[in-house]
Amino acid sequence: MPEYYLALAALLFCIGLVGAVSRRNLFVIYMSIELMLNAINLMLATFARAQNDHGGTVMALLLIAVIASEAAVFLSMIITLFRTNRTIDADFFTNLSQEQNP
Amino acid sequence: MIEQGIFWILTLFLVGGSLGMITSRHSVFASANFMLAMIALSGIFALLNQSFLFLAQILVAVGAVITLALLVIVSVNIHQRYTPDEPNMRRWLAGVSLLVLPFFVLLINTAGKMPISFKDVPAEFGTVRGVGATLFSDWVLPFELVSILLLVAMLAAIIISRRGGDHDA
Repeated sequence: MPEYYLALAALLFCIGLVGAVSRRNLFVIYMSIELMLNAINLMLATFARAQNDHGGTVMALLLIAVIASEAAVFLSMIITLFRTNRTIDADFFTNLSQEQNP
Repeated sequence: MIEQGIFWILTLFLVGGSLGMITSRHSVFASANFMLAMIALSGIFALLNQSFLFLAQILVAVGAVITLALLVIVSVNIHQRYTPDEPNMRRWLAGVSLLVLPFFVLLINTAGKMPISFKDVPAEFGTVRGVGATLFSDWVLPFELVSILLLVAMLAAIIISRRGGDHDA
């Protein structure tokens, strides 16, 4: 039975990876990153249950706090980017990848 | 086996919600699908006897993080013309899925060969008492570091999203 939970965590991580790479909407990219972090959470909870050890549970709890801080910073970044550029298209923000500003 | 049935139902909601999240064109639908997936994930935590983690997931991930994301999506009130139209979205999704597939097969193989199994749980496993005893004995330093991280992230969110903050910084 633990294999099913680990396989589910792997599937969630891969779905999040696909979403973060292939989408251009900043909100969807944000939620894909969060999905990957939650897949790690599920893996930690599964290992804690299999070993009957609370260490994995505590790590998952701390990871939930990290997810909350990531959400606060990412969402305020999205607000600032939308306010200054009037878009949430990830392909618009290419200043760092070009030699000079367009 | 009733536990297995609950697991498959929750898996259906979890995977369906995640797939709906990365394929939907509207931000609000994406976050609603993601909320469904996170509620199903907290149910999976409950299946793993992690009652404290289940509570924390419901309170923080569903109640705070996704609600905050929904609030931001609604309050910046993005008109449809400001969101990317992504004409080749399905082609991109299919191509990147093909690229990620070998990695996924590798992960599945590793998970299948893992020599672990679920044993009988002690009575205290996953409860607030048991988790709290471990958290405040072996994990005190990471706990304090995470509290500093939360404080810094809160300050950063205020400073970044301040009006005109990027000009006079």
